[in-house]
Amino acid sequence: MENREGIPCVELRNVVKRFPGVTAVDHVSLKVEQGRIFSLLGPSGCGKTTTLRLVAGFETLDEGDVLIDNKVVNDIPAHKRNCSTVFQTLALFPHMTVEENIGYGLERKGVAKDKIKKEVGEVLELMQLGGMEKRRPSQISGGQRQRVALARSLVLGPKILLLDKPLASLDRKLRKEMQTEIKQIQREVGITFLYVTHDQKEALTISDTIAVMANGRLEQVGTPNEIYETPRTRFIADFMGASNIFLGKVIATSSSQEVQLETEDGLKIIAIKNKGIPSEEITGISVHPELIDILPEGTDLEGDNKFRGKIIEMNYQGDFTETRICLNQVDRFITAHLSNEPGQNARFSLDERVLLCWSRHSSKILIG
Amino acid sequence: MKASNMTNKILPTLPMLVYIVLWAPVIILILFSFSSNRFGIKWESFTLQWYFDIIGNVAVRDALIRSLTIASITIVVATIAGAIAAYGLYKYKFRGRGALRTTILLPMVMPSVVTGGALLVFFSRAIHIPLGFAAITIAHITFCTPLAMFVVLGRMARIDWSLEEASADLGADRLTTWRKITIPVLLPAMIASAALIFPWSFDDFIITYFVAGVGTTTLPIYIFSQLRFGATPVINTIGTILVVLPIIGVLLMHFLQKKEIA
Repeated sequence: MENREGIPCVELRNVVKRFPGVTAVDHVSLKVEQGRIFSLLGPSGCGKTTTLRLVAGFETLDEGDVLIDNKVVNDIPAHKRNCSTVFQTLALFPHMTVEENIGYGLERKGVAKDKIKKEVGEVLELMQLGGMEKRRPSQISGGQRQRVALARSLVLGPKILLLDKPLASLDRKLRKEMQTEIKQIQREVGITFLYVTHDQKEALTISDTIAVMANGRLEQVGTPNEIYETPRTRFIADFMGASNIFLGKVIATSSSQEVQLETEDGLKIIAIKNKGIPSEEITGISVHPELIDILPEGTDLEGDNKFRGKIIEMNYQGDFTETRICLNQVDRFITAHLSNEPGQNARFSLDERVLLCWSRHSSKILIG
Repeated sequence: MKASNMTNKILPTLPMLVYIVLWAPVIILILFSFSSNRFGIKWESFTLQWYFDIIGNVAVRDALIRSLTIASITIVVATIAGAIAAYGLYKYKFRGRGALRTTILLPMVMPSVVTGGALLVFFSRAIHIPLGFAAITIAHITFCTPLAMFVVLGRMARIDWSLEEASADLGADRLTTWRKITIPVLLPAMIASAALIFPWSFDDFIITYFVAGVGTTTLPIYIFSQLRFGATPVINTIGTILVVLPIIGVLLMHFLQKKEIA
């Protein structure tokens, strides 16, 4: 994986933020590398937005330090921090034109009028907003508003751009377009992006690094690849997409890091564990639905994990069919994705008895 | 089918009836203001005499100017004070905030005679403000400020407050944010509250009567005093002017808004 040594642009050290009755951010430490897109991902109420607001300076922290560019900024007010925020609501000033909105920050800095005009013109071009200068935010489309909000922040040349669920209000198609666009813009301007989202797909698409949060704590930090393919905790496995989760204990270990687990309901599953993890800490495994093969019941094959069951639900999703299978041995459901590629010879129907099979490499170890 | 036909006929008729009841006295008043009858109580022949009369009537002119001056000062002071109070009440958390918010409208539902009596005692016994122009103005500001607060608070509940954060984020300090963002965003509500305050102040009679003292005659007090001489045409003409002017205002605003949208 890409793990080049970057200079941390933003750093949190043991940051704690409490609200009456709840610890919103609970001893979070993280480093955001220069020039990358770093996502905070988690369900609503997990503390990701509060973390972002602590970096922006809209909230004061109770413990720990926030560093921007290696300087502690705990006591520096929002309007003096070298970062800029794109809000969930976008917060475009309704009484100002696009041009005035984008020029607002430069005006506050005391930049000369003609220079403002020039810089605003440049960023308008970068954002493909030419011709919109004199319009009000209410007179442009959702995607254009999004770009105005980005432009308003980027024109100031901040050290870091904070984005708080900026695409949450857009429809699916536009959201996908804007994700690509944000990535392109980031590459073009090279500024560090700290991106907050609750949408797993969006985080996977957009990020260089993802930090998954739950209940104010960091659960796992890694590349999209690592987060999706090797979720470390049950929470992440579940959050990253309806994975099949088996809780259990290791009952046998072989030299090649192969372990055998026995689940609470008595299923035996073979998995591969990483070197560093002691067997005692393993609490279960997860398997992504697309890694499970569905075969006709009679199939005879060598395989690590094989279970028989009956199809009880099939939901067509386009490129695959989400299939729920009830196991014969125990009262448990497994979700698998049946590919709809043409040429796929085995077709199944509801109530059919099938064989499920997945490799030991597809079983991902969970430790929490 | 038959029943629904009936309903279709009756339903539009009902509001018409309500409008007739509402407007009949006003229409009669307007008609009589053009009647040459000396007491203004029946139709004789068309005349503009009464209008020429009030133009030359110094007492009417003085009362009108006084009422307009009081209303103008009240609008400015009450709207600004109301907006500031609403902002504090909305943005800052302190003890008793909830109680304050729920009781804003209390001064408005209090009977005017109570407010008027209380102010009279307060001005004359407690803080010794001479009755008259100043006392009336203060009284009007007192009962109009809650209205401004109420209107502005209503708007505040629908504002995206990240606008203020965005402004700070872009480098503006508190004062600049207020001047450039908060006030412009609240301005429509402040204008609306000013539009509501104007008639409240302009035609208040009861409270004004309590604190007016001797010699400070506002327009409503003048009209009331004329009743001693019976219903004179003066009342009809002033009434007509007071009804027609706001209607023209409303129509004008409507027209301007339409033009802006188009």
